[in-house]
Amino acid sequence: METEFTLNGSAVVVDAPAHELLIDSLRERMRLTGTKRSCDVEICGACTVLRDGQAISSCTTLTADVEGTDVVTVEGLAAGEELHPVQQAFVDHSAAQCGFCTPGMVLSVVALGIDFPDADEEKIKEYLSSTICRCTGYAKIVEAAQQALEQM
Amino acid sequence: MTEPIEAGQRHQRKDIVDKVTGRARYTCDLEVAGMAYARLARSKVAHGTLKNVDTSAARALPGVICVVTAKDFEHLDMYYGESVLDQPFLAVDRVRYIGEPIAGVVAETQAIADEAAELVTLEVEELPILADAAQAMTSTTLIHPERPVDPELANVCNRAVFAYGDVDQALEDAVYVHEATYTFPALYHYAMEPHSCLAEWTTEGLEMWSSTQQPHKVRADLARMFRTPHNNVRVRVPFVGGGYGSKGQAKYEPVTAAMALVAQRPVRLVNSINESFHTVTRHAAVVTMKTGIDADGKIIARDSQVIYDTGAYADKGPRVARKGAYRSAGPYSIPHTRSVGIAVYSNRVPAGAFRGFSTPQVVWAGESAVDEIARHLGMSPLEYRKRYLTERGKPLLGDDAPMDADLPQGLQMAADAIGWNEPRRAGRGRGLGSGVKDGGGGAARVEAEVHLHRDGSIEVVASTIELGQGPQTAFAQIAADGLCARFDDVKVRAVDTWGQRFDPGTNASRSTISVGSAVYDAACQVYLQVCDAAEQVIGTSERLRLEGPDVVAGDQRKPLVEILAEMRGLQPDWLGSVFATGVQDSTKGDGPLGYTSSFYEVGHSAVEVEVDPETGVLTLVKCASVADVGFAVNPTSVEGQDEGSTVMGIGHSLYEELEFNGPELINPSLVDYRVPRAEDLPREFHTVLLENRDGPGPFGSKGAGEGGTLAIAPAIANALEDATGLRIRDLPLTPERVWRALQNERAEQQDES
Repeated sequence: METEFTLNGSAVVVDAPAHELLIDSLRERMRLTGTKRSCDVEICGACTVLRDGQAISSCTTLTADVEGTDVVTVEGLAAGEELHPVQQAFVDHSAAQCGFCTPGMVLSVVALGIDFPDADEEKIKEYLSSTICRCTGYAKIVEAAQQALEQM
Repeated sequence: MTEPIEAGQRHQRKDIVDKVTGRARYTCDLEVAGMAYARLARSKVAHGTLKNVDTSAARALPGVICVVTAKDFEHLDMYYGESVLDQPFLAVDRVRYIGEPIAGVVAETQAIADEAAELVTLEVEELPILADAAQAMTSTTLIHPERPVDPELANVCNRAVFAYGDVDQALEDAVYVHEATYTFPALYHYAMEPHSCLAEWTTEGLEMWSSTQQPHKVRADLARMFRTPHNNVRVRVPFVGGGYGSKGQAKYEPVTAAMALVAQRPVRLVNSINESFHTVTRHAAVVTMKTGIDADGKIIARDSQVIYDTGAYADKGPRVARKGAYRSAGPYSIPHTRSVGIAVYSNRVPAGAFRGFSTPQVVWAGESAVDEIARHLGMSPLEYRKRYLTERGKPLLGDDAPMDADLPQGLQMAADAIGWNEPRRAGRGRGLGSGVKDGGGGAARVEAEVHLHRDGSIEVVASTIELGQGPQTAFAQIAADGLCARFDDVKVRAVDTWGQRFDPGTNASRSTISVGSAVYDAACQVYLQVCDAAEQVIGTSERLRLEGPDVVAGDQRKPLVEILAEMRGLQPDWLGSVFATGVQDSTKGDGPLGYTSSFYEVGHSAVEVEVDPETGVLTLVKCASVADVGFAVNPTSVEGQDEGSTVMGIGHSLYEELEFNGPELINPSLVDYRVPRAEDLPREFHTVLLENRDGPGPFGSKGAGEGGTLAIAPAIANALEDATGLRIRDLPLTPERVWRALQNERAEQQDES
């Protein structure tokens, strides 16, 4: 079946079986491998993408369910070489180690900025608890999120 | 060695822009032309003799290219392991755990491979199940009948014993003997990228891309198993999505190469997280410790026995048992010790290396015990530890290398960071712990290359894997200082065993001190070559430094390319690079472990906790970790490593435990296996770097990144006792466990009244 949506600012049509997951359409069909597969059960957040500005897990979302929406993956954040403020904050605070969670974590912070632009430290920690990082211990991610919220 | 200029700076990570933009490629992201997709069929039986593997239904599925079993590989050596080669890449004549690979499916798409793998069936004559080490030790059933027999216990994979002095006599002489048993659960690493490999056979041999921490070990394993020389095997390692020990030695590389051989296609195997749960774990351990105290309060004897459940295959279990036994005597200088470490086979998922490598288990026991002893003696847990921690210059055990750290200083810093002496609020408690493990990087000859190109750009070739710890950045800083060059002019190449320099593996916090030293050595050699050229061409090498394309010395500045062209009498276009190979050759020595420890990795933890008596929820109000790193090549990276390490330790202290129903792992999913989240961060979280420049690496650096995991669990349990009077000797300290202990205590108090 065909699904039409906006992906990183461009109109796209994906012709895929009705049961295909968004993560597979992105990674296997569109070759957008920045979206990562890890837990498969909507816990870790590595596969996070934005659908109309909301963070969703692409591992548990059917491609058909993004029909007519605006989808943004990590590849769609930077404007050329100019990083998105959240990406820049992660760079400034060294908020990535192995980097596997980073695309999802960056998008979660973008969504946080949309949902709770005035979030305090406690709110940031609560919000980001839907995205797991096994390397950093989160301290530098929380710092990056604080900087990003100030700049967004 | 000159003073560091670029090293010690908080330089931006070389890889971070790739990582925040999604450009960083991991093995699971790779594709090559003609690639097919694989999935492994796995045993649903824990223990049995393999009668038949029926692959007919799987083969019949359209889109399936081949289905392979052990029968297809009788011409190969199918077995791997670190020191004990007991694990076949597909079950041969027996299955030994639920989740063991029995067949490999290769198909045109991942969906077809997944479906076909479900169609493989297994005919097994079941054998008695040994659900854990305790059951296996006393059973008449042997999981590996071919292995040597232990005189006392069944199913022993390895027994290691270290004995010094006369522990029995000393325990008899002691005025107080503390004895207790502590348990530590099996854990899962949860490296977020599951184990992934991509294999292709060409006329040149085997091309392997893998998410491995040990590419040279993998190359050697593959060469042996496929009966081909080392130079026919090329292992390349893109970015790796976490390791923590789970991606050492061969894992899925042999089976992927075997499938590619039969399929005659490039084959990619990307496991699911459920499958990675069924690959390797941290050893569950039972530690029984007897500690003898003399009239002055001094620890004079320790008799410890550690039983490590190593699961169905040895993996790195034999070394875990040996190192764990060795480390169970520390970090105090105790004159009479006997330490026994036993790795026992069971029908569980194999256990192997995991950050801290055997040490968190024994430090959990040791640092709980010392706290109990201090309380018994009515002494401050801080002052008691500081009095007896191994002094600088004295060996941890036997005739090993002298302690290279000031342990009391580090512990005091941790205590100070949480305000140890400040008054505490009701319902809160404070606790400490110190952990020491002998560091890696000894007993190996490692190599690295530095190339200075004629345009002044610099390349470092070294075989340390970027697992998140930041070697590309740290090595660039080290090389820049060896060359008196600028950090921004240095790049560190991704790892490729073909033509690259040897290193045994990225583990045991060894890379900065061993590979880093080789990088520094190579950089210094190149620097001397440039000085020599400068003296010949511009007449000086005074305070020579490299500034991009230019060489600057004395009051001269001249492009490197012109200096080299003049010196060699060649056209600039025909000039190669100035390069050198650096070597770090650590002699073996003869310490208790068979070699001398290269350095000691030290972690001190201090915490303040609050306990909710109604729910048993334990909250970390304050947490401080002191990482005694000698010198931080990149302080931001080192802090990040220690923070991650501490939070990982908070995970096994409070939440994490692999749960088994008999031999079956029942929580192989992130839904049921709870790792730390952002909201679990301690309310106050301090990371303190102790830099006494007393390590063997560049500028006095030591290894880092494991210390935070070592002593956090006992620090929390000690704080729990401080807050509530409860002593819990089993991990994790879940709300239920704490609540039940509180209830029991209340019931006992009521009985007494």
